[in-house]
Amino acid sequence: MNPIILLIEDDASIRRFLRASLVTQGFELLEAGTGREGLALAASRVPEVVLLDLGLPDMEGIEVIQQLRSWSHVPIIVLSARGQERDKVANLDAGADDYLTKPFGVGELLARIRVALRKSMPAEEGKPEVMYSLGRIKVDFERRLVFRGPEEVHLTPIEYKLLAVLIKHRGKVVTHRQLLKEVWGPSYIEQNPYLRIFILNLRRKLEDDPARPQYLLTEPGVGYRLREE
Amino acid sequence: MPDPGPGVAQSIQSEQVTVGGERLLVCLDPSPFAIPLIRATKRLAEAQQAKWYALYVETPAHDRLPPENQEQVAQALYLAAKLGAQAVKVSGFRIGDEILAFARENGVSKIFVGKPYARPWRRFLGTSLVDHLIWNCGPIDVFVISGEGEGEAAPTPAPGTKPRRLLREYLLAAGAVGLCTGLAWILFPHLALRNLAMIYLLTVVIISSLLARGPALFSSFFSVAVFTFFFVPQYYSFTLADSEYAVTLLVMLLVSTLVSGLTTTIRHQARVAREQERQTAALYEISQNLTAINSLEELLKVATEQISRIFHCRASLLMPGKQDRLEIRAGHPYEDEYGKEGQVAKWAFKHGHLAGAGTGTLTEVKGIYLPLTASHHVIGVLRLETAQPERILAADSLRLLEALGTQVALAIEREHLSTQAQSARFEIEAERMRNILLSSVSHDLRTPLTVIAGSASSLLEGEQSLDPDTKQELAQSIYEEAKRLDRLVYNLLEMSRLQSGEVKFNKEWHVLEEVIGCALAQLDTQLHDHPVTIGLPADLPLIQIDALLLERVVINLVENSMKYTPSGTPLEISARVQDQELLVAIADRGPGLPAGAEERIFEKFFQAAPGSARGAGLGLTICRSIVEFHGGRIWAANRPEGGAVFSFTIPLVEGAPLLDKTLPEMEKDLTDESDNPAH
Repeated sequence: MNPIILLIEDDASIRRFLRASLVTQGFELLEAGTGREGLALAASRVPEVVLLDLGLPDMEGIEVIQQLRSWSHVPIIVLSARGQERDKVANLDAGADDYLTKPFGVGELLARIRVALRKSMPAEEGKPEVMYSLGRIKVDFERRLVFRGPEEVHLTPIEYKLLAVLIKHRGKVVTHRQLLKEVWGPSYIEQNPYLRIFILNLRRKLEDDPARPQYLLTEPGVGYRLREE
Repeated sequence: MPDPGPGVAQSIQSEQVTVGGERLLVCLDPSPFAIPLIRATKRLAEAQQAKWYALYVETPAHDRLPPENQEQVAQALYLAAKLGAQAVKVSGFRIGDEILAFARENGVSKIFVGKPYARPWRRFLGTSLVDHLIWNCGPIDVFVISGEGEGEAAPTPAPGTKPRRLLREYLLAAGAVGLCTGLAWILFPHLALRNLAMIYLLTVVIISSLLARGPALFSSFFSVAVFTFFFVPQYYSFTLADSEYAVTLLVMLLVSTLVSGLTTTIRHQARVAREQERQTAALYEISQNLTAINSLEELLKVATEQISRIFHCRASLLMPGKQDRLEIRAGHPYEDEYGKEGQVAKWAFKHGHLAGAGTGTLTEVKGIYLPLTASHHVIGVLRLETAQPERILAADSLRLLEALGTQVALAIEREHLSTQAQSARFEIEAERMRNILLSSVSHDLRTPLTVIAGSASSLLEGEQSLDPDTKQELAQSIYEEAKRLDRLVYNLLEMSRLQSGEVKFNKEWHVLEEVIGCALAQLDTQLHDHPVTIGLPADLPLIQIDALLLERVVINLVENSMKYTPSGTPLEISARVQDQELLVAIADRGPGLPAGAEERIFEKFFQAAPGSARGAGLGLTICRSIVEFHGGRIWAANRPEGGAVFSFTIPLVEGAPLLDKTLPEMEKDLTDESDNPAH
């Protein structure tokens, strides 16, 4: 059965282009032009992923997220305009899983949807990972070892923990707050500069060119994302 | 003194009336009739479209006037200035001569004087002012106007000035003469009579140089009388033994009265000169200070401070704010428990009259309220608070205060006007910018749109005929042009947001490497044509910046370099610490900048080679705004080995978390946690 995607977007031409791309990729697409319509469809058809545009005519995007989150864990990908970094963070904090900045390419969209679908697949949840590899990087979770190519990379405990959290959320944006909370604990959530220093060090150990990272990507003003293969 | 300098006599000209026609002169005297006289003259001046003067001649007698009369003079001059006259005060001895001199000097054609109420004996002698004017006026017409019928009070007889002080002075004078007599008594056996007379004369001179005119005159008569009684035969009697003595005594009396008169006059002149000097200095200082100031707030602050200092009082300045309520804009705050102060201030503002403590109007408050009248209307009220309002309201002091008030009012008005002119200039500039923007943007938008529309239609039309490579190429260019459009639109929006001050800056500690990496990631496929090398020292300190904005700087600089350099040429990004600043440089190997364009390229809409490359010419302007906001500088230069280099600095701020020092601390936290088995 094809995965169901719910698209809540008021602009007809954006809906048309997304329909063309997503249906050819084998998704079943539900379309809603307003927030209310979208919430109703989410309840009746139970989609696997929700694509939510922020500029809806009837309600604020964040309200849709909050209402949806009150009864559903469905992954939500927010489609937002550039220059709304604060809104992005607010939406992510309210329960959105990821975001895409307009204008975006279909490739990016499909990658985000893939990551979101992985989350909604219950089979993978809870199953402990043993090995993880991304490009030349390999992580052996059992022995807590990290390799770049054939060589072992020595990570400090906190760097290892940071990498592990990013791997857990791989392909998905993780906000500064979320990372600080998961790695350092709730009392560190305001310590963005420390996080930046650790990411810098992690990049210097893992990336070929730390100034132009291939794996540990920065999401400007929002957080970090570990690239999906 | 027919030609009063700016400090000698204050000219307060409120309205420029037609010059060259009739000129009227109204002569003021210290009486309530001055007011109706001024109003009458004003009506005539208006009817004739004439320039008019209000003149008060300050004689030595002015000082002996009771304060109410001095106040009346000040009020009259003030009113005249408000009604459009040039109000002038000159110092002199003979009122009539001063008036005529002034009238001739200023080409006055008609002189207006009040109906005289001169003392009967003067009338009898025919020496009233009116007579004097009429006899000596020459071609000038003299009009006598009756002040009656205006409902003003009749002139009050002038009571003696501070009788107690005067009495003391008389006693002092008598005492001095007594002392002199004692001395003369001792010297009598040794000196000739005429030399004793000299001692008396000396005493009179000393007395007149210290005391008022009355006691001085008294001392000359008294000393002659005492001299006659004690030392002129017949002794102990006023009878003269020889008629020759009569001549001696008469000469002595004449000389001593003349000397005392002259001495007091010189004193008066010296005092007037001192006072005028003080006023000139104060006026000069305040006008100097006020012209040097550019902001209204600063101007009001300086004005109140100076006025407070000059008058030894607490000055504050009130101006209408929201809903035209008077608000304190500068100076000392004050209590206004029952709202009375506010009401008086409002009254003074509305009516343009002096009011408050010590004045004739609404005296039940602590402050003196002086309306500040600019060229057209009252623009504010100056409030002075002091324990002795009468000191400020004394004629001379009040005149100075009014002059200063006018200076302040004019300075405020000038400031208002310059603000208006500036905003008008901004408007024009903004309009010009909008026009340039429209033409520039429409060109820049149309080019990528043409590519997109053309490529898309080729794909539609040539579905069958196009080979896959061409289709791929067309689709690629649609994608790239769309991205370019997006960046252009973003720059436009960013520009207007930066200019409107709408951008909320969000400064945090950041790692430069990450900012550069992020910027390059956003340029993405565009960079394929230009290899970028990044040379950053590993130990760069953290910088306090708004990362999104600084990313924009890097993106725009790199994009700009790519736009103006041939594809395949490398770009180099480097950074180093230098003099408490982080210096970032983006260098290319292109043709370099045209000579003289190094600074202009940062101007809005400037393009080094118009039409040859895309972009509205906003990129570098945005860079400059952002860098300057961070307290840094941005500039461009040509490299000696060829190519251009764009550099900017970001000041290093104290308190940056240090890269190496923070690590152990943070690691320790974690080790503690991981060592804990319960975690």
